[in-house]
Amino acid sequence: MAMTITEKIMAFNSGRESVVPGQLVWVDVHSVMTMDYLGKQCFKAFESLGAKTLFDKERVICVSDHLAPPPSQEYATMLNEWREIVKSYEIPYFYDLGRQGIAHQVMVEQGHVLPGKISIGTDSHANTYGAVGAVGNAIGVTDAAIAMATGKCWFRVPESVKFHITGTWQPWVMAKDLSLHIMGMMHWNGHLIYKALEFTGPAIDALEVAGRMTLCNMTVDLGAKNGIIAPDAKTAAYLKPVQKGNWQMIASDADAHYEAVYEVDVTNLGPTVSKPDKLDDTVPVEELVGTKFNKAFVGTCTNGRTEDFAMMAKILDGKQIHRDVNMICIPASQAVYLECIQKGYFEILVKAGAAIETPSCGPCAGIHTGVAGDGDVVLSAGNRNMKGRMGSKNAQIYLTSPAVVAASAIKGEITDPRSEKW
Amino acid sequence: MAIITGKAWVAKTYVMSFDMIIQKYWTSPIDKEENSKWVMAGVAEEFNKENGFKDCGYTFIVAGHNFAGGGKSIEHCVTGLMGANIKAVFATSFARLQFRNAINYGMPFITSKDMNLECETGDELSYNTDNGEITNLTNGKIFNSVPVAPFVAEVGAAGGLMNFIRAKIADGSIAHLH
Repeated sequence: MAMTITEKIMAFNSGRESVVPGQLVWVDVHSVMTMDYLGKQCFKAFESLGAKTLFDKERVICVSDHLAPPPSQEYATMLNEWREIVKSYEIPYFYDLGRQGIAHQVMVEQGHVLPGKISIGTDSHANTYGAVGAVGNAIGVTDAAIAMATGKCWFRVPESVKFHITGTWQPWVMAKDLSLHIMGMMHWNGHLIYKALEFTGPAIDALEVAGRMTLCNMTVDLGAKNGIIAPDAKTAAYLKPVQKGNWQMIASDADAHYEAVYEVDVTNLGPTVSKPDKLDDTVPVEELVGTKFNKAFVGTCTNGRTEDFAMMAKILDGKQIHRDVNMICIPASQAVYLECIQKGYFEILVKAGAAIETPSCGPCAGIHTGVAGDGDVVLSAGNRNMKGRMGSKNAQIYLTSPAVVAASAIKGEITDPRSEKW
Repeated sequence: MAIITGKAWVAKTYVMSFDMIIQKYWTSPIDKEENSKWVMAGVAEEFNKENGFKDCGYTFIVAGHNFAGGGKSIEHCVTGLMGANIKAVFATSFARLQFRNAINYGMPFITSKDMNLECETGDELSYNTDNGEITNLTNGKIFNSVPVAPFVAEVGAAGGLMNFIRAKIADGSIAHLH
């Protein structure tokens, strides 16, 4: 029976030859991620189940990302309790301050997610794992605890929707622009809820793993169950030095059934911006040129990777960020941080007037490291812009790509990165 | 036959998970009583005080598309509603993360199309859990709902997924989950 890649993964990891959308299956989970502010509760819930040991302590991945470094005594204490419990279980893969990163970045870059397998995490952007051909899914503490005990998780097999992406990427246009464009195209009116979104086509083949992560990351914000891109030679090259386990190539059958197929040609796609408060209220950057802002932010599990800072460095090399703009850049992990130092990107950004912070979720979750105050207008390369997301409910957040943030920061107003030769 | 009757709160716009539990309480312990104190605090100004929503005494929530959307996976949204004595949420569609959490807690998130267009906050509703029929006792309108899947009913009957799994670990049948 013809199946999509998501259906195959659900079938093969539940001991079945095939599955159909709507079917309920208990799958074997390859890895379970949990992090600082929910992690302790996961272990406590696990303990209450009556299981004697973790299903596999090498596949329970623990990360400090939302609260580290702690901005308050309360969070410092919470982190201490978290460290204590992780230590007591002798978890080998504990990415704590000093070795930290945003969980989803760490899961992929450290090889805890593999093509054809299923990984879950207690944070919504676990959809990111689809970038390397895995089914990545966000779950709550209950599901994490059960998976920690049994190695299993229940799923309703989702209907698949295909986004076939063709054409040639134009200069200064990034995967984020495609994400936001699709957001504006599909809206939040329910028809992508529960769906598996599969990205195919030559413009996807052309993306590196970083861009694929951006694209899959934001499928949760479309309401989808997962976003996925079939593994290819780029995936294999990316994973080879880090992969924790073996895997095989997997792809949808040519005659697999999709509930809908959408075509997007990126040749005509320009830099895109999501206007404050509503993620699906997106417009081409031209419509907002000249809009003043006072804070700029690039980081997060959506756009905190080396490729993102490389793009910014190209634009900001030898330039100065406008005096009225405070820019914060937060690499998504220590590995990204080091690479950006070694490649000189952070030297360029610091000379341009950007503040570089240690890897964490930072102000994206409104918790620390540059949260928004009353009256702030933030131009962010993050993933959410609802009222209060980055702090004050009286702040406005425009979401866009790192290229638009960098170009705009020079002028202090929203700028089309295609308007000048950088 | 089980009939639940009570007053409904009807959403006039999207209800987002990050408004159901505002950022300050994301890091709270997951606890029905505790989470119910501030549940829905960001949804409407009148709920933004301790027990603000709970003290209104609603039994049901009626909403349109994407109830509890916006992407947070925290279970506090569901436990908060349970602690606030909400017995069912009826919506045209639910955001999948909280739909999943609701199933895991045995909290009825019931799909019923466009009920929000024909109900007002304060209307008295009656929900027949056997046939899924919902009657608006205030205006006489009757609504059908999508039947609850067998697995969902089974988890609900067990009192949530934790109990469901606990029993399977205890009797050794956990290995047969398929």
